[in-house]
Amino acid sequence: MQVLAQSNQLYMGDMLFYLISFLIMTILVWHFAWKPVTDMMKKRADKIANDIDNATNNRKEAAKLAAQRQEELKGSKAEATKIVDDARKNGQDLRSKIIDDAHNDARTIQEQAQRDAEQARQDALKGAKDDVANLSIEIASKLIKKQLNADDQQELIDSYIEGLVKHES
Amino acid sequence: MGGDAYTFNLGGLTFNITNMLSGLLIMLIVFFFLFGLSRHIQMKPKGGQNVMEWIIDFTNSIVRAQMSQEVASVYSFFAFILFVFLFIANQLGLILQVGWNGHELIKSSTADPIVTLTFSFVVLTLSHYSGVMFKGLKGYLSELVSPNALMLPVNLIEECSNFLTLGLRIFGNIYAGELLLGLVGKLAFSHGWPTIIVALPIEMIWQGFSVFIGAIQAYVFVTLTTVYISRKVYGD
Repeated sequence: MQVLAQSNQLYMGDMLFYLISFLIMTILVWHFAWKPVTDMMKKRADKIANDIDNATNNRKEAAKLAAQRQEELKGSKAEATKIVDDARKNGQDLRSKIIDDAHNDARTIQEQAQRDAEQARQDALKGAKDDVANLSIEIASKLIKKQLNADDQQELIDSYIEGLVKHES
Repeated sequence: MGGDAYTFNLGGLTFNITNMLSGLLIMLIVFFFLFGLSRHIQMKPKGGQNVMEWIIDFTNSIVRAQMSQEVASVYSFFAFILFVFLFIANQLGLILQVGWNGHELIKSSTADPIVTLTFSFVVLTLSHYSGVMFKGLKGYLSELVSPNALMLPVNLIEECSNFLTLGLRIFGNIYAGELLLGLVGKLAFSHGWPTIIVALPIEMIWQGFSVFIGAIQAYVFVTLTTVYISRKVYGD
């Protein structure tokens, strides 16, 4: 190594040294600092772009779903009204049917009762007729059996009248 | 501070120890600075990654101002590393100047014309290479004789002057800054305490100004780099 008195001369070696060392430093910085950071910046830019796209799509999707829900809600409201109307109509029908049935039943029962009463009256009348006939026959048989004198006859008539009175009362 | 540099000859080339040492130091600082900033890379940046991305965005915006996105992506890394290197090189001499036995050992390497002209040479070479790559050899050569063949000497002189001005501009600014810094320093120690008291604020003011100049010059160098490249890529 020598010390030169004048430094203001061309040191071409420095040029070579700087070119080579700068190149080495550039490669190292590229590999260790520039590439990872710019890759991440690019990735971030992509991610942001994607997120924006996704957000737009999601908003569109949500709007579509909301419209669909609204539509369905409107449909279900109409359906509910229809169901209530149907139920009301069915109820009314049922009510009038039950009332009609009740009316019919009542009429039938009434008629039946009338018929039964008539029957009972007929039966009772018939019974009474039979009783009178039997009595007449009894009386006749008793009259015939006994050779009746006036007193006996009188007694018989009295007892018969008595019996009638008893029978009536 | 100041003084001559150690040099040695190897294979017919002169090597300057001062430039080599300070260049190596700057490159180590640049590398470990950027290496430190780019640890723990995350999708959601924090700390060093934010600083790194801020620098990248800054240099990218310089490049994007001159060329389209596709072309800019090719040169964004070169602009980035050039800016960081020149910025730190410009500032190093303000913070650290080491001399030994009357000879400088460490200073701003950009205060040496050989170094700045080396970078200027790299930039101009890259711009010419880009011209050939993007426009083809024929398009590149036709740029030299545009608008007509009479302009060929003017164009050639312009290329040479671009090379010289780009390198010498940053050298002149940084060299002058450091020279004045050294002169104020000498003034401070010339007559004992009174001159130190007088020189201290001047030195501080000039250092602050030099930090500003160093940042500006790094920015100007990178901006002109992109201008030269874009002129070769797109034509005048």
